[in-house]
Amino acid sequence: MHAALWVSKTGLSAQDKALTTISNNLANVNTTGFKRDRAVFEDLLYQTQRQPGGLTSQNTELPSGLQLGTGVRVVGTQKEFTQGNLQVSEQPLDIAVSGRGFFQVLMPDGSISYTRDGQFHLNSEGVVVTASGNPLEPQIQLQDSTTSVTIGKDGTVTATVAGQTTPVNIGNITLTDFINPAGLESIGNNLFKETGASGAPVEGTPGLDGFGSTEQGMIESSNVEVVEELVNMITTQRAYEMNSKVVSTADSMLQYISSNL
Amino acid sequence: MDKALYISMSGAKQNMLSQQAHANNLANANTVGFKRDLEQARSMPVFGDHFPTRAYAMSERPATDTQMGPMIETGRSLDVAVRGDGWIAVQAEDGQPAYTRDGQFNIDANGILRTAHGLAVLGNGGPIVVPPADKVEIGGDGTISIIPAGQGAETIAEIDRIQMVKPDNKTMEKGLDGLMRPKPGVDQPVPDATVTLESGFLEGSNVNVVDALTQVMSLSRQYELQVKVMRSADENSQAAARLLQNS
Repeated sequence: MHAALWVSKTGLSAQDKALTTISNNLANVNTTGFKRDRAVFEDLLYQTQRQPGGLTSQNTELPSGLQLGTGVRVVGTQKEFTQGNLQVSEQPLDIAVSGRGFFQVLMPDGSISYTRDGQFHLNSEGVVVTASGNPLEPQIQLQDSTTSVTIGKDGTVTATVAGQTTPVNIGNITLTDFINPAGLESIGNNLFKETGASGAPVEGTPGLDGFGSTEQGMIESSNVEVVEELVNMITTQRAYEMNSKVVSTADSMLQYISSNL
Repeated sequence: MDKALYISMSGAKQNMLSQQAHANNLANANTVGFKRDLEQARSMPVFGDHFPTRAYAMSERPATDTQMGPMIETGRSLDVAVRGDGWIAVQAEDGQPAYTRDGQFNIDANGILRTAHGLAVLGNGGPIVVPPADKVEIGGDGTISIIPAGQGAETIAEIDRIQMVKPDNKTMEKGLDGLMRPKPGVDQPVPDATVTLESGFLEGSNVNVVDALTQVMSLSRQYELQVKVMRSADENSQAAARLLQNS
């Protein structure tokens, strides 16, 4: 059949995937700590129909051959870990990371996940947990009569208990960094998992050794740029239309030959 | 039977091949750093023992259009676009250097600077290894400087320089993996200090979609003409057969 049909089909499905990525970014424009994805395109292998430089006689050679590309594919999505805007929320348990680093979250199966979403809550036992109820690691527990909590830029958590004047240190929030955060696996719920591509987690104190500082009363908004996504959406849609035009052209060529010969 | 049938058949077949070349360009209209393939038809005079009027057609890819694509701003510090002529050297799967304009870089778990397709970017002496860093900056001349993890901005250090070349684009050809390499018999290009990069930008595909789509349509009409000739040749031979039957 007509090879152009298959080539433009790869174009259609790649633009489709790109649009999925764009719409996911747009859908998460208000998700705390969300990091945008970018679809990475790659041209597919080329087929050699006629070898350039092939000998046409003992002394002459083809100056140029015929090598036809077979289309395009999305080779992957790339997470962009640029800093999102910090918004003041005035909530004592809202913590944003300003700089590099992730919070560690203990999963129900005992494994550790990583997140940039610092909207924490208290559960019935006074433990600091994420919005889905997973405790922060290392665990921070507040007493019943705590009146105020202060979290320093270095992750030190101090609490004042009713009836006492001096605040007490009740724990430290640590951050974890990876050499290649783009290699982390997104598992949804604003959580990431370590993979072979991300490298091993490195734990450290916020504000020191290149880790970002923890900012109390702030949340990090999504780093999705709405204008950029909409522009990407337009170019993707146009590329999709062009490719579908090639499909219909190739189809009409085949139709023409079968009805006329 | 009239051999015009074979001539138009080869024309139609070559039109389909050209169509594939344009379809591939269009499919890659959004691929970063993609360079469009040119396509042309050439007449192939293969004359037999008769009056030499009919030449076959042949499609070929004479070259790759190395014109610059549009610059797209991304703001990501590991995205680079080559300004003007020049190519970024990467290590192809066979271990040999190959050249690309796609500058979407990443640092892998071992600290090696790689393209988005996983090929190692070449520096002054082989693949570039980036130590753990707070900040990685790529300068206009390809110099990579870092602020080592946990250090202040005063400790900024230069670690390597991205290898870039500027050979005559006529001596380069696109390989089967889409990367550019010197043509057979041409030496590997030497690093050239005059090539400059722009960090925070990517180079878009240089496919002119209007041009490609127009070509697709004109090829489609050409194809219909070839089919028409095939049909006429068929009708001619039918008429001839009828005449012979009646006698």
